[in-house]
Amino acid sequence: MSARKCVPASRRSVLLGTLAGSLAACSARRGDGTERAALWYAYGGKNREVLERLLRRFHSDPRHPRIDATFQGDYFESLAKVRTAIAAGAAPAMTHVVAEVVPYLAEAGALEPLDGYEGAAELDLIPGLAQSGSYQGGAERPLYAVPFNRSVPIMYVNGAMLERARLDVPRDWSELRAAANALTVRRGAEIVVWGFECPVSWWFWVALLASAGGSVVDERGTVTLGGQAGVRALDLWQALIHRDRVMRPPLGRDYNAWQVGTQDFLAGRAALLWSSTAFLRYIEENARFPVKVAPLPRDVRHAVPNGGTLFVLLRAAEEREKRAAWQFLRWMTQREQTIEWATSTGYIPVTRGAVTELERTGYYDAHSNDKVVLGELDAIEPWPWSPTLFRVQREIMDPLLEDAVLSHTDAAEALAKGRREARLP
Amino acid sequence: MRPARRHEPYLLLAPTLLLLALFFLFPFLLAARESLYAWDLLTPPTYVGLANYRALLERGELLRAFRNTLAYSAVVVSGALVLGLLLALLLDRKGRLAAFVRSAVFSAYVVSWVAVALLFMWLLDGEAGLVTRIALAVGLPKKNWLGDPDIALYTLAVVSIWKIAGYAMIVFLAGLQDIPPVLYEAAALDGAGPFMRFRSVTWPALGPSAAFVGTTSLILSFQAFDIVRIMTQGGPVHATELFVYAIYEQIFLNLRVGRASALTLIFGVLVLSLTALQLRLTRGRGAA
Repeated sequence: MSARKCVPASRRSVLLGTLAGSLAACSARRGDGTERAALWYAYGGKNREVLERLLRRFHSDPRHPRIDATFQGDYFESLAKVRTAIAAGAAPAMTHVVAEVVPYLAEAGALEPLDGYEGAAELDLIPGLAQSGSYQGGAERPLYAVPFNRSVPIMYVNGAMLERARLDVPRDWSELRAAANALTVRRGAEIVVWGFECPVSWWFWVALLASAGGSVVDERGTVTLGGQAGVRALDLWQALIHRDRVMRPPLGRDYNAWQVGTQDFLAGRAALLWSSTAFLRYIEENARFPVKVAPLPRDVRHAVPNGGTLFVLLRAAEEREKRAAWQFLRWMTQREQTIEWATSTGYIPVTRGAVTELERTGYYDAHSNDKVVLGELDAIEPWPWSPTLFRVQREIMDPLLEDAVLSHTDAAEALAKGRREARLP
Repeated sequence: MRPARRHEPYLLLAPTLLLLALFFLFPFLLAARESLYAWDLLTPPTYVGLANYRALLERGELLRAFRNTLAYSAVVVSGALVLGLLLALLLDRKGRLAAFVRSAVFSAYVVSWVAVALLFMWLLDGEAGLVTRIALAVGLPKKNWLGDPDIALYTLAVVSIWKIAGYAMIVFLAGLQDIPPVLYEAAALDGAGPFMRFRSVTWPALGPSAAFVGTTSLILSFQAFDIVRIMTQGGPVHATELFVYAIYEQIFLNLRVGRASALTLIFGVLVLSLTALQLRLTRGRGAA
């Protein structure tokens, strides 16, 4: 049953009808007969420039359909609009969503199964970045998502500060605390340079939790929030902020925090920064000091969550639009485009052919930071296929982490509260 | 006065009543109904009775939105009144400089909320913002203006006051210029000093202006959304979650239409109650 059919027509259609008028129209054919499809994307800055460049190239081939790409804000704003558009019967044919959301949308019947589309089995994707490796049991489910901009959390290091402090790149949590302490610069009571910065958000906490040997959801699908590993993860942040005073307290919410972290790092106000590989090229191009990247320091194991987004087609869109969107999606996963996207941004190339080609041409020898990022493929942890994951992230964990870190509440008690909330309907 | 035909007043009222019913009453009733369902816009809705209201109470979201909105409104309304009045008193004079300053102060009111929010995010940055730099330069401690749960709401309120004080000033200026100079002359002849003249002449004469500024800034503070969305997204730790933003967060970020509808309904009742109170007070004053 399609998602559109799920919605009762009577009272809700009145509400949704008003929304439909304000959302982008998704006509599948231009006046001149050219096929077209709508793509809603969630990039600003450099990533947007690269996507627009690729779109121009796609459109330069007259055999290709027209892709009407529209910027829809950050990942969560875009998701809100996509969901509203689906309910209003004005869904775009294609969008891209964060990995945690795919199970929720798929189980709600909003996503188009892609197995039947031409060439779906021959996409040459890197398993750890494809649906098969991004989710526990991802290979056994219908194909709903194709990797687009995939990333992992990574540590950015101000090479000049590290050298001045005569330190090595920290490799585990105790070395991280020691390095952050050594790199923090104080002038009286004021902290001029923070030894360590990291957005206090779900993705980085999951990275810490995975490194401490835990997982958010157990094998039976119960939300455990990592048990003791989750507590250790949260406790590390609290120690860095309150006991050591070497980590800048929460930088802001959602992607504001990521931007603030990047700005602080580039301005020399932070020596070590945890962020996404997505910022690699931007940071390298704008830093006035040598930038090193390194895997996140580990606790009991080396593990990171996969991040970034995957392309999805929306079931509610018209058939010919979906076919046009699929054509673009396949084109984007071809070697040339995959390489351009990855090397221009910092995202990981999503096809094996692209990686082989970059290795063959010596790209990774010339770009050691990219090589570090690629090495993280071995440490990627799949997400549980849990439709509640998105709610746990947005409604429970993000505010809970912010609260626990700011008010320095007991980490075990905070997570116990989170588990209780996760059990509520 | 009696109408020639009994139905004529209703005919004249009909277009307005129809619009009000279509765009206010009907959505309100729709929200009342939706508040009894759990619905995420994608999967079929489920009837849950009063569970949405219970969840809002148990999770403390209702009380938090209520408390934050009232605190924000109290600071914005009183701040706009005081600052608007002070500016009006200072700038109620002739001359190019006064005219220029009046225009400059008022110009903030016509700038968009988004632009104001972005500007102040830059100014208030806890590390490198101009405000932080000035505070440090004069020996004050560093403050995380938007990141500290104890002060973030008041920081937003101060930004809002900065934005709307120019409007309050214009209203007070109009009120000041309406006061006959003869009243001041009479008060001066009676030996009243500047403070006495303000207390006995200016302030009573500005009563309607103050009521107008109070009402408009109250409405504006209850509608606040852009500034929260841009500057804090309701954080840190929900400290700046005002009613309208809480509704947005429930429906668009948490995917909970039912809870958003429940909040909308409660918010609607709150606004209606305040309006009724204000009407009662105004009419009471009119009757006196």
